[in-house]
Amino acid sequence: MKLYALLLSVTALFFSYSVFAAAAPADGEKLFNSNGCQSCHYTAGPAKEKTIADQLAKKGPELWYAGSKFQAPWLTAWLQDPQPIRPLAYNSLVDKNPGNHSKLAAADASQIAEFLMSLTSADVEAGVIKPKKNPKGRLIFNKKMPCGGCHQYPGRKGKIMGGMSGPSLLHAKQRLNPDWIYAYMLNPKTFKPIKMMPVFAGILSEKDMKSVSAYVANFD
Amino acid sequence: MFKSRFISILLVFFFSTSPSFAASDSTKQVFKFYCAQCHGDTGTGDGVNVTEDFATEPRNFTSGKEMSKLSDADIKNVIMDGGPSASKSALMPPWGKTLTDAQADELVAYLRELCNCKGAE
Repeated sequence: MKLYALLLSVTALFFSYSVFAAAAPADGEKLFNSNGCQSCHYTAGPAKEKTIADQLAKKGPELWYAGSKFQAPWLTAWLQDPQPIRPLAYNSLVDKNPGNHSKLAAADASQIAEFLMSLTSADVEAGVIKPKKNPKGRLIFNKKMPCGGCHQYPGRKGKIMGGMSGPSLLHAKQRLNPDWIYAYMLNPKTFKPIKMMPVFAGILSEKDMKSVSAYVANFD
Repeated sequence: MFKSRFISILLVFFFSTSPSFAASDSTKQVFKFYCAQCHGDTGTGDGVNVTEDFATEPRNFTSGKEMSKLSDADIKNVIMDGGPSASKSALMPPWGKTLTDAQADELVAYLRELCNCKGAE
């Protein structure tokens, strides 16, 4: 009898957890839509852009693989205090980023982050890249394919270095999933078919892309 | 006569419905999207990435004097394989896996319009 009751309790607990786990991202999705986030960010993959005009028509980055790209603690905190990631406004080479992204209350940010973190891509293999300051990655980043030409990155003594057209790589350690950085370099068109950054796959070796991904993933 | 007209109609239909043609971007648009970030909107070499950290001066495409020193093949080579392929800065990345061969040719022609010059033989 006791065993039967125990089994019943465990089963009930399992189902209640499953329902809760399934419900939470759905609640976040409702909030995402009711806050109007969908008007700038699409969340259903795969990537839709086929032309430059398609890319330029977007008001903000696509989020259909947000759960593979971001780190949950960073995303939850950022939604409550959204500091610009790009120096320039999205899709602009002229206007400064106005820094006017909507700010969310902690509870809403947490639920929306939960929804966004549920959006993952099968093209991001887990556990491949470990953030690491490595000479090969540094050489590629600084000399071979100078990523700093377009991306801001941390220089010496806290100086912010680099170009303006790409998203900043400052705090990549907290913001980005290291495995996503590599997956994006390896197969960029899966995530961003039309983008201002050159395709390096087929130019850099996979080993080089792993090194530079690990290097970028270590940026504070 | 009828046969050749029929083939022409078929060709027009094929090319107008082919996604690669329907989805093509204009050369000016390609320039503004990929090249302007460093070379500037009008090609004068003053793109938004040219900060104090930028270790070279991007090519000013409106300079007939400088651009006429380069052949069309030189320019296409740098576009596709990057600056180091012509002993220039690595800040000019290789676009060979991003742009099509035809887009690179069109860009070369566009740069010739900007410099209003012909290339070295």
